[in-house]
Parts: sequence; structure tokens; C-alpha cells
Amino acid sequence: MRRRTRRFGFWLLLLAYGVASYWVFTRSTPVINERPVTIRFAHWQIERGPPDGVAAAIKRYEELNPRVKVEQLLVPGATIYPQWMRSNLAGGMGPDLMEWGMWMSGTKDIPARYFEPLTAELAQPNPYNRGTSQEKIPWEKTFHDQLLGPRRDSPDPGQIYAVTISETSVRLFCNIELLKTITGSVAAPKTYDDFRQILAKVQDYARRTGRLIYGLAGSRDNGLWVAENVFSGPLLGVTRELDDPGYLYLYDRNALAAYLEGRWNYHTPAVEAGMTLIQEMAKAMKPGFLQLLRNDAMLEFFRGEAVFIYTGTYDATTLRRMSTFKVVPMRLPSVTPDDPVVGRYVIGIGGEGSGETGVAIYLNRNSAHKAEALDFLRFLTSVPGNQLFTDNSGWLPSVNGVRVPDEIKNFREYQLGYTLGQAPFDIIGSEMNLVWNQNFYRLMGEHGSVGQFADALDQAMPVAIRKDLQNEMRNTLLLVRPQDSIIVATAELAAGPPADEAQSVRQHGMEAGQTMSEGLAFQMQLELEKTAGKK
Amino acid sequence: MLSVFAAPRLRWFTLPGLILLPALAVGAPAPAELTQAWTSIANSRPQDVLRKWDADRTSRPEQLAWATAQLSVQPTTDANLQAAGKVLTGLAGGDDELAAEAAYLQARLYQLYYAQPDYAKAAELYRALAARRPESHWAQLGLVKLAMLKLYVVPDSAAPGTDRLAPAEALLAGIHEPLLQRDLHLQIGQAGIALKQPLARLLPHLVAADRIGGISGTAHEDLVVQLSVLSLRAGLPAQAKFYCERYLAEYPDNARAFTIRLKLKEAEQQLAKEAAP
Repeated sequence: MRRRTRRFGFWLLLLAYGVASYWVFTRSTPVINERPVTIRFAHWQIERGPPDGVAAAIKRYEELNPRVKVEQLLVPGATIYPQWMRSNLAGGMGPDLMEWGMWMSGTKDIPARYFEPLTAELAQPNPYNRGTSQEKIPWEKTFHDQLLGPRRDSPDPGQIYAVTISETSVRLFCNIELLKTITGSVAAPKTYDDFRQILAKVQDYARRTGRLIYGLAGSRDNGLWVAENVFSGPLLGVTRELDDPGYLYLYDRNALAAYLEGRWNYHTPAVEAGMTLIQEMAKAMKPGFLQLLRNDAMLEFFRGEAVFIYTGTYDATTLRRMSTFKVVPMRLPSVTPDDPVVGRYVIGIGGEGSGETGVAIYLNRNSAHKAEALDFLRFLTSVPGNQLFTDNSGWLPSVNGVRVPDEIKNFREYQLGYTLGQAPFDIIGSEMNLVWNQNFYRLMGEHGSVGQFADALDQAMPVAIRKDLQNEMRNTLLLVRPQDSIIVATAELAAGPPADEAQSVRQHGMEAGQTMSEGLAFQMQLELEKTAGKK
Repeated sequence: MLSVFAAPRLRWFTLPGLILLPALAVGAPAPAELTQAWTSIANSRPQDVLRKWDADRTSRPEQLAWATAQLSVQPTTDANLQAAGKVLTGLAGGDDELAAEAAYLQARLYQLYYAQPDYAKAAELYRALAARRPESHWAQLGLVKLAMLKLYVVPDSAAPGTDRLAPAEALLAGIHEPLLQRDLHLQIGQAGIALKQPLARLLPHLVAADRIGGISGTAHEDLVVQLSVLSLRAGLPAQAKFYCERYLAEYPDNARAFTIRLKLKEAEQQLAKEAAP
């Protein structure tokens, strides 16, 4: 009898183990759900602040919607997120809502493949704005920049695929005590040349005292951000020259095509001037900074080994909460036509516009709970939802009507000026960026030179840039093809019975967007054919 | 309440009728099932349709839904596309809106789907569709696509000095749907820039696209900027002023507003110069 009981117990245990294993490997939800619907929201903003902000918004949303549970998934961005995102989306296991950024190399096809356009929904008011200043205003118009980034980064020029939850700008954060010790002043640099002089003083101070201090905290990420800023100044004139379509803005595809046409290269004087400025910034960072990550730069700054750290306001909460000294945000002055080194190549000041909202959240096309996910997005980007996010994260809001806390108000003081385009000429494509990075060492160190760097780039770029333009074209076609089926299906649903006006609007919107995208693909094909065989 | 099963005559008529009904219905689509299929395709889930149905569906609407699903299912293989093509060819032989839809998709197969596109064949199919059913939406949409093929890949003549926009403009005359007219105007304008045609030829198309309206997303902002800048380049300061002012009214805080303000000043200076005695 006892043996039978033992055997029964053993089999019961084995069965329980089997069921548990099955559940763990095939499901991602708890065995017992407290609420009928669970939506998952993944992002990489694991800095101090945003997880608290999102959690506060979730808490309130769950109070308002007892049926829905929202899970926040924090996935480290720099190294893990892109692979994690792709494998989950490809396997049909992607979260309902996900952050995505245009700058993530090798992921440009993701929105077209996996995300749902929100254009029609954005044309309607956000119901969670009832009783606020944004009531009755179309959702799209409630964003501080009217979704500049999602409109620009859309794979389909007629559609908007994302909404944003915050707004970021890039600033020089200064260890003000250290600045005073070294320069005798706490004044922020007024011109780019002032900044150059401060960096020279820091270098001199370090040499004289033997202290390990650099002007700028260094890492690959921070280096890239500061390079983007200084590189773009002299490129404004080049952009203007290449702007055949009259957009006052250069899309990556236009910059790539213009290179293949021989209208600019890395020896173009203004481009060389930009690289000279990058070299100056790189010399202000510790040797080998390209091997370091953003967290390393933060630690260097916290240790008091760098006077400035150039980073986004997304790091402001971390800097404020974790530093043992006073940190003052300053603006990196733009390079101007009177700059003694590169001024003759500069046509004017580059503008920041009136700020760009970011942390773009996309709706997974294959979500099992699209309506609930969309509803949560509406709450998160409503005045009350975004207020909770701002108050608890210390990050700027993306939505009009949200009160901005005093300590971050100056993050919204923007520089007016000319616009550049999608990117400076180091990141207009993933292949060309690889070539840039592989050769970057030629610009660094005692023997580094702009000429040598430009030689190496112009040697390798024609092939890389051609590949990038081909990829751009391929990605555009990736979007165009599946739309045929959707257009036909929406036409059928629109015709009914019963006739469905919303489907009809969707059908015509998709037809227009598809035609525009097809036109872009043809234009890229034309450029590739026209420049085939050119060196 | 009288049940049909209560009356013996009705019962004898109705019971076999109910049994035979599914058999009689072969060839006519079950509306709910068909709507579900189109909904799955519209939600980018063609695999749901293909899991339930195979190629031997007998009703024409179901065949169309099956072929449409087959076009977008992943992975795309030649076998999938050929199977879809075969069904579409059969459907396109009819003389109704469904046939026009199938003929349109058939042309798209040759233009976009096969590993080696056949633009000439696609153009021929768009042309034939427009000739057969000129008022059909799918023929009208096909004319837009045909015009784009003519602009970029199958021009009537690619000889230097040829007016590359004229063949597309000729097709525009056959399009009656305003939204499709708009889309083609916009494409002719953009192709004019890519093909380096004179501003005087392309600018009226961009203006016409804007006048019809309804362009969304970044394309709308781009178009208003473009009309401001190209009008100024073309020596049309009044038109440039109109679009600069519109941009500033619609996008006062956007990054390009700074430069548009400068362009507006430039346009006003030119107008003042023109007005001066």
C-alpha cells in the first residue's frame, strides 16, 4: 500500500514537473492571471527615472481599467534590445507595445514588418484628455512636436507608426566645482571657441598637476553624440547644395545618392572641417574611449575625472540623483561662421527646432490585445498619464498641457537655426557607418589626421554606400509588397455588407502611402542604375 | 409561435432542405467566413486564412481571398506566387469588379513579387485592365502604377531631351478619382525632380496635388516646404509666400520653421522689387 502511494506520489510529482516545464517554455504569463487581459510594454529606458514614471502611469491605468494588467519589460538597450526584439517579433512572441529607434543599426525593416500604423487613430482626439486643455484636439496635435520623429522615421511617408512619451535634448553637464578649480570661472562657454579654450585649459591643468582629468567623459556613445553635434555644423552648407527636392532637409537616401553621383565626398572641404571638429572632441576624451560604454563615461564623471559629460537629458535624473557634486546643464555652443578654425565653411547656426519628442512606442501588429494596448498608449500620452510619467521620472513630457517641473524647465530652451537632415555623414547608413568606425582610429592619436581618415573613407565608401542605398530600396519595397493584400482586403471589408467607412478611409490612405513609397523605391533604383560602375 | 417542424408538409420540405442546403451553397461564399478571411488579411495574418483554406476553394470571392493571402504569406516562394498567379489569371477572365481586382493583383505580381520583375508585362496588364473596365477603381489605381512605370522604368522614349513627364500626364487624363489624381500629380512632380526636368513642368503637378489635399504624415509637411522653396527657385515669389505662410501657420514650432521664415523674407523682398516702379 505504502509502495503504491509512493509510486503515485512520484508520478504526480513527475506530472506536475512536466506541466510546469510545458508552461514555462510555451507561455510567458503566470498560471493564474489576476485580470483577463495582460499587455506587455517593452523599452530600454532603464536609466534612473523612466521605469518609475511608467510604473506610476501603469498603476493609475490599472485603477481605471480593472480588466487590464500592464507589464513593463525593461531590456538593456545598447547590446541586448535589438536582438531580443527581433527574435521575439520573428517568433510571434513580441510584446504588445515596444520602443524602437531609427538609429538602431540593422533594424530598419522592423516597423514595416511588425508594427501597426496609428495614423487613423491619431486623427481622433485622445479620450483620456477629456476635461484637460487638450480635449477635442486630434491626438497627433497634442504632442509638443506633433510627432516629428515618428513622421520622419516612418517607413511609409503617408503613415505614422508611433507615439512618443518624452522629449529629450542633448546637453553638456558640467561638474561646476571642477570647472571653477581649473579655469577660475563657472561661466558657461558662449561660443564654440570658448569651449575649445576650456578644453585646452583642462588638458594643461592635467599635465601640470598630474591629475587624471579630461575635458569630456569618454565612451563610444558619448563620443558619437558629441561628434554628431559638431560634425553637423559645417555640413549645413553641403546639405543646402544637395537639396534638389527643396525639403530644406536631407534624407539619408538623398545623401547616399549624392555621394554616388560624386557631388560630395570625405575630402569636400566642409566635410573635412566637420571631421576636424570631431578630432578636437576626441582629443578631449581619454584614450581608448571607443571601447567604453555610456555607463563607463558616467562613472568617470562621477569620479570627478572629467569636467563635462555630453549626454542626453535622459541621463539628467541619474546625474542629479547619483553625483556627489553640483551638476549644471549647459548647451554646447554651435560652431559659427566666425569660428577661427572652421568658420569659413559654416553658413550659420544649426537649429534644434523647438525640440523633438522621443521614446517612440510602437504597436505590435500581431498583438493579441491591440485594442487594450492602444488604449494604454492613449492613457500614457494623455495629459494626466504623461503628467504622472514626468513627475515620477524627472524626464520632459511629450504632451502639451503637462506641467514641466522647475528643475528641468531649461531643457526646453532650444537653439534656433538651419536644419541639417536625418543625420550627419557618419551615420547615414549601416554599411557606411561600419566603414567609418573601422577607420576612425586614423583620426585619433598623435599620428591621426583628417586627410588620412578621408583617404581611407573615400577608398571604401563607394561600395558601402551603394549597399546602403540598395538596402534602403529593399526596405521600402518590403513595406510596399504586403500592402497590396491589405489594400484589397480593406477594400472588400469597406464594400461590406455592411459598408464600412473606416475601412474605406484606411484603404485610400494605404493606397496613397504605398504609391509614395513605390515612388521613392523607383527613385533609388534610378540612382543606383545611373551611378552603376562609377567609382 | 409556429415552428416549421410543427406542420407536416413544411417538415418534409424543410428537413431535406436543411440537409441539402450546405451542398447547394457550394459555390456561394459563407459571408461570415469570407469576412473573417478578409479581416485576417487586413490584419496581416494571411497564414490564418491559408491554415483553413486551400487552393481548391470553389467560390470566386474565396478564391480571391485565398490568392490575396498567398501573396503576402511568409516566406515568399516562387511556388506560392505561381499558385496565386494561376488563381488570379482564372479570376481575371470574368467581367465584374472581382475580375478587375484579380487583374490588378496579377499585374502587381509581375511588377513587384517575382524575383525577376517584368515591368513590360505589368504595364501591358495595367493597360489591358484600363481598356476593359476603365471605371473600375482597380483599373484607375492600375493607371497610377502604369504611369509610374512609364516615368521610371519603361519610358516611351529615354532619348536625351525627351519630355519624360508627358506619357504619365497622358494617363492622368484617364483617371477620374480625385484621390488617385492627387497621388499621380504628386508622383509626376517628384519624378520631375529625380529626372531633372524643368521646374515649370513639375511644379504645377505639386500644386495640383496639394490643392486636392488629404496628404498625411511627413509627406504633407515635406510638400508644403517643397512648394515654398521650389516656387522661390522658379521665380514665383507670390506662390512661395503663400506656401511659406501656410507652413508657418501649420508648423510654427518645427525645425524647418527657422529657414522658412528666411525664405518668406526672400519672397517678400522679391515681391517688393517686382512692385517697385
